[in-house]
Amino acid sequence: MINIQLVRLGLPTILLALLSLPAAAQSFRVQCPTSTITHPSALHNNNSEPAYAAKTTLAAGANGYLVPSANVNGAIRCQQISGGDGYATMGDGTQTYLFSFGPLSGITDIANGLPGTQFPSIFNTMGPALSAGDPATADGVVANTWTGFPIDTTGLTYNGAVGLTLGIANVVTIYDISETGTTVRVIGNSPLGVAIGDTVTISGADTTGYNGTFTVLAINVPNPFFPANYAFTYTNTTAGLAEVTESTTATAGIAPKLDGHVDPRPIMDVGVMNGNIPAPLMAIDEDDEFFLTLTNVGMIMRPDLFEQHTVHFHGYPNASAFYDGVPDASVAINIGASFTYYYLAPDAGTYFWHCHITPPEHLQMGMVGQLYVRPRQNRVASTTTLNTALLAQQADLRTACRRPSDGASPAVTGVPDILCSNPMPAVSTTAVGAATVEKGGATGYAYNDGDGSTYYDVEYPLQIHGFDPNFHFVGMTFNPEGFSDMKDKYFLLNGRSYPDTVTPGPLATQSTDGSMHFSQPLPSIINIPCNADVNGKCTGKALLRISDLDVSEYQTLASLGIPMKVVGYNAKLLRDQAGNNLYYTTNSITLAGGESLDVILDSTGVPAGTYYLYTPNLDHLSNDAENFGGLMTEVHII
Amino acid sequence: MSAMTLKKAISPMNRLIPLVMAAATQLVWAVAHAAAPGITGPTFNLTAQPAYLSQPDGQTVYSWGYGCRIAPAGFAPSAIAGASCSTMQVPGPTLIVTEGQTVTVNLTNGLPTAAGNTSILFPGFNVTATGGVGGLLTKEAAAGGGTVTYTFTAGSPGTRAYYSGTQSDLQVEMGMYGAIIVLPSATPAACTTGPATAGGSLRFAGANGTAESFWTERDFRLAAAAYDNAKTCYDREYLFQFSEIDPNIHNQAMAQVLAKTGCVAANPACRLEVPTEPYHPAYFMINGRSMPDDMDTNYAPQYPHQPYNGNPHMHPGELTLLRIIGQGRWQHPFHEHGNHVRILGRDGNLILSQTDPNSLAGPLLFTTTTTPGVAMDGIFYWTGKGLNWDAYAHNPASQDPSAKLPCTPDANGYNTGAPTAINYYEWCQDHNKPVQAAPFGDVPAGGPTTLPDPNLFTNGAWYGGSPYLGPNATLRATGCGAGSPAGSCGASGSTPPSGTIANSPSTEAGFAFMWHSHNEREITTNNIFPGGMLMMMLVDSREFPIDESN
Repeated sequence: MINIQLVRLGLPTILLALLSLPAAAQSFRVQCPTSTITHPSALHNNNSEPAYAAKTTLAAGANGYLVPSANVNGAIRCQQISGGDGYATMGDGTQTYLFSFGPLSGITDIANGLPGTQFPSIFNTMGPALSAGDPATADGVVANTWTGFPIDTTGLTYNGAVGLTLGIANVVTIYDISETGTTVRVIGNSPLGVAIGDTVTISGADTTGYNGTFTVLAINVPNPFFPANYAFTYTNTTAGLAEVTESTTATAGIAPKLDGHVDPRPIMDVGVMNGNIPAPLMAIDEDDEFFLTLTNVGMIMRPDLFEQHTVHFHGYPNASAFYDGVPDASVAINIGASFTYYYLAPDAGTYFWHCHITPPEHLQMGMVGQLYVRPRQNRVASTTTLNTALLAQQADLRTACRRPSDGASPAVTGVPDILCSNPMPAVSTTAVGAATVEKGGATGYAYNDGDGSTYYDVEYPLQIHGFDPNFHFVGMTFNPEGFSDMKDKYFLLNGRSYPDTVTPGPLATQSTDGSMHFSQPLPSIINIPCNADVNGKCTGKALLRISDLDVSEYQTLASLGIPMKVVGYNAKLLRDQAGNNLYYTTNSITLAGGESLDVILDSTGVPAGTYYLYTPNLDHLSNDAENFGGLMTEVHII
Repeated sequence: MSAMTLKKAISPMNRLIPLVMAAATQLVWAVAHAAAPGITGPTFNLTAQPAYLSQPDGQTVYSWGYGCRIAPAGFAPSAIAGASCSTMQVPGPTLIVTEGQTVTVNLTNGLPTAAGNTSILFPGFNVTATGGVGGLLTKEAAAGGGTVTYTFTAGSPGTRAYYSGTQSDLQVEMGMYGAIIVLPSATPAACTTGPATAGGSLRFAGANGTAESFWTERDFRLAAAAYDNAKTCYDREYLFQFSEIDPNIHNQAMAQVLAKTGCVAANPACRLEVPTEPYHPAYFMINGRSMPDDMDTNYAPQYPHQPYNGNPHMHPGELTLLRIIGQGRWQHPFHEHGNHVRILGRDGNLILSQTDPNSLAGPLLFTTTTTPGVAMDGIFYWTGKGLNWDAYAHNPASQDPSAKLPCTPDANGYNTGAPTAINYYEWCQDHNKPVQAAPFGDVPAGGPTTLPDPNLFTNGAWYGGSPYLGPNATLRATGCGAGSPAGSCGASGSTPPSGTIANSPSTEAGFAFMWHSHNEREITTNNIFPGGMLMMMLVDSREFPIDESN
C-alpha cells in the first residue's frame, strides 16, 4: 500500500521470516465445523433451524465452561467471499471498475439474489468442475452465451465452498500408546489433525494389539508429554494392553477428508475479477454461529497495490477488536490467503458489512455489502403466542432485556440495561408465531417484538450507495486519488441505478479478462402480495432492510403512494424502556453512510398497482450525464 | 495497543505524510487520554482573537476563536494537571457550570478590525445581553475591542453548543464555536450505590469507584450523572465536537485582513468580502484537531490553540457518557465501533418515555449523526457479552494464577462480586470458553476456530498478535507468557509481533476500536489518508490504570 511502510517494515520482515516456520504460513482455506461447543452435533442437527421454545439449557462442562445439555437453539452457518476487483455496469451503460468482494460459496443462491450463507451440509460439499470464464455459470450454464436479460440461472445448482477439496492423508509417528479399560490414548510426535468421529488407522510392529481401524472418541487429550492436540483416544475391542512408549514403527494415519483444505485453482478461476456490488448478501438467525471466510485473491488491475482486505461487521455489539476488521487493531489478510471471521449472531436487526482497509478508497470503490440477522421470533411455533416466546427469552441472561412489571420471573425492580432495545411490549397481545421455519415461507418478523408488530409477508434488502466515476477511473489507473473533491455521479440501490434496478435477475458485465461476470446480482423490484381481506382490500406488508454505505453525502429515499412505517433504526427495534413502540409513519427516510433502518411498506388500503421508491435529492435522479435514472425503483402490489 | 503506539502505527500508513512527521510523532511519549476538560465559572471573561491552527499535514490555518481574556475561575476536572486557556482556541473554552447558576459571559472583540463585530449565541438558554452594540440575533461586541455581556440562568443540565451569531457563515467556519456543559445540581442517589440488582443496568458507579481506587485511578468525571435522573449515571465521560475547514475561505480571510490592516471600523471599506460558497472543506476535525493530532494529550504544547483531544478509553462495564456536538456546517455520521450508544437527550433535553418518567426513550445508535448546532448526550459501554468465547482467555488448566480467575455471575451475568479483580465485569456465560480449535501457548483447545499464528509477521505489522484482553492474556496467547509450554514462544525464541515496540504487551494491551466519521472521505486530512475525523477508542483491561490527566 505505502512506500514508507515498506521501507520501515522490510528489515524486520526478513528477519522474522527467517525465524518462522513455514508450516503455519498463510494460504487459502475455509472453516466450517460441523460441531462446536455451542452447537454439539450429538445433541442437535446443525443443518437446520429448530423451532424456538425456550432458552438453550446450559450446564457446567468438564473443561470449566458451560456447555449445552438440551434444547439447543440456532445452527452453524458458513460463507466464503473473495476480496479482489471487478467491473459493474452503470445505468447509462458505462463499465465501472470496482474494488470488490465476490461470492465463493452459495454462488447459485447469490446469482438468484439470495444470501450466500449456508449450513455446513451445503457449504462442506465439493463442487463440479468450475472452469475459467464466468465461473458462476460453469456449473450448468455455458459461459458467455447469454442473450439478453433476464439471464437464465435455472441451470445453476452448486452452493458449496468454491475450491473445497479433500485434505491430504496424514500419518504421524506415535510417541506413546496406552489403554485404560478399552479406551486407548494415542500421543503422537506431532498433531495428527483428527476430529471426533474420524476414522484412524493404527499400525506398527510392536503395537499389534492396538492395530486396526477405529473411530476417534476424543481429541485434545491432556497428557504429560505433549500439547493436548497431539493426543486423541479411541475405543479398542480388547482391554488390558500394555503401554508402548517411543516405538520406532508405530504410526497413526487418517484418510483424506474435507477439513477446510482448498484447491487454489478453482478459487482463482472463480474469484478473480468476479466482484459484486453490493458484496455477497449474508443472512443469519439469532443463536447461529457464523463462520465467514475472506479469501484475498488480489486485484488484477492494480498489481501495484498489494492490498489487504477485511470484513467489518458494522454494528456488531460488544465486538472484539480481533474480528472488527480495523487493520490497525486486528488481522488483515494478505493476498493469497484466507481469514475466517467468527461471530455468534447478535440481536436481530439490519446490519451491514464492508472492508475497513483505507475506507475512503475501498468503500467508494465498492467493497460494501448487506447482512441481516433474523429474530428468534421467526422460529416460534404457530401454537405459541409471541408474548410467551419473548418471555422465554428473558430467562437467558444473554438474550434478556428486563424491565419492572414485564411479567417474567423472577420479578425485577432494577432499570433495564441501558443498551438493550426490546423489552416486553407495554401492551400484551395474543398474536401467535408465524412459524416461518415450520412453513419454510418468506414471512417473518423484523425483531423480537413480542406483539407481532414487525410482521412482514416479504423482505427486501436495499443498500444505498454512490459512485464517483472520476474516482473509479483514477482507481483503475495508477494515480493518487483525491478525497475532498469526491463527487458521486451514480446513485445506486443494490448496486444499480434506475432503470437497471427493475431488471430481473443478475446483471453481468464484461471484465477486462474478456469474460462476462455476474456483477450486480440484486434487482430492487419490491413485489408486495396483496393478500386481499374479505372485503377485497390488500393487506400485504414488505419489510425493507435499508442500509446506506455512501461515503460522501446523505441520501433520502421517498415512497410514492405507500406509507413507510419505520420500526427499527441502526439494527434496533424502536421501543422505549417502558415497552412502548416508537414506530412512526413517514413518506421518506434519510440516511448517512453507516446507518440502517427498517421500514415496513404496508399495502393496507392501497390499490394494487405500481408505485415508486425514489430520491427527492433530485440531482440523484441521474446516471452521470443522463438526466434520468439514479436512486429509484418500483414497488408492485400484486 | 496503547494510544501512543496506535498513533505510531497509523501515522506512517498514509501515502503522503513525510517521514519527518512519522518520526516526530514518536517523540511524544506521554500517553494521551481525554475526559471532557473545560473552565469553570459562573463568570467567564472571553475574548475572540485570531491565531493559527496546526494540521497534521504540516499546514497552519489562519483561524478565529474564543479564548480566555484573563485566567478563568478554575479548570475542571481537577484531576487533569497542566490545564490552560489561551486567548484563542478552537473549539472555544468548554464552559462548565452547575444547574441553577447565573452565568455571566463577558466577551471582548479581539478580532482584526476588518472582521467586524462578533457575538455568542447560547441556544437553549434565555439570554440577556447587555452592553455592546445592536446586532441581528443578539447584541454584539463591536469591532476594534468592543465588549458585550451575556447573562442567563443555567436552567437544566446537559450539553449544548455555543457559537457566533454574527456573520455566522464566516465566523463559525473560522472557528468560533464551543460547548457549554450544565451539570445537575444534585447527584441521583442511585449513582453512588452498589452493583446492579436483578434486571438492572450496569449501574454500579459505587462499585466502579472501588475498582478505580484499587487500581489507583482518579475520577475524571465532571459529575456523577448527566441529568437529574438516575438513568443517566456514568463512570467516565468524553466530549467530541465535529467541524470542518475549507482552507480557501481561511486563506482569503487572512489575505483580506492583511490587506486592510489599520483600517478604521467606521470606514465602509473596512470589512471582509470572503465568499463562503462553493464550500470545499479539506480538514475534518474532532475537537479542533485532525487525526492523529487528536490522539495527543489535552493541552499538548504543540497545539497551543487546540487544547482538547479525542482519545477515549474505558474499562469493561464502565458506563461512558459521550457528549457529541455538531459544529461547523455539515452533518457527520459519527460511527462508534464496539457497541451501540443510548441517546439520553438532545440539546439538554432528556428524552423520556411518555408513559413512565423513569424510562429512557432515546434511540440506540451505532452511528450518531452530528448536525450543526445540535448536541447529544449518550451512554456507551463495552463488556464482551455474547462473544461466545472468553475474552480474557482464562484456562483452568494453566500454571498461571491469573489465568485461573473465577467468574461468579451476578443477577445480570457479570462478574461483579470482586471489584478488585482483573476480570471485573467479565461476562460469565463465556468464562473459560476457548475460541481456538487447537491449543496455542497457554490458551486451551476445543473452540470453534483456527486463528492465524500470532508469531508470524505476515499477519500484520501493527496487530498485537492476540484476540484476548489484558497483557497477561496477550502474552499467554502468543506462547510467551507464564503457563505457556516451553519453546512455544515462536521459533528459537523469536519475538512475536505483540512484543515489538509498537505493541508492547507489558504496557497497554486493550481492544482498540475506531470511532470515526462514516462519510469515509472525512477520515482524511487535506486528501491524505488516514486523518481527519478519526480516533481510536481503547477498552483496557482493569489492571491497566486509565490516566486521563495527560
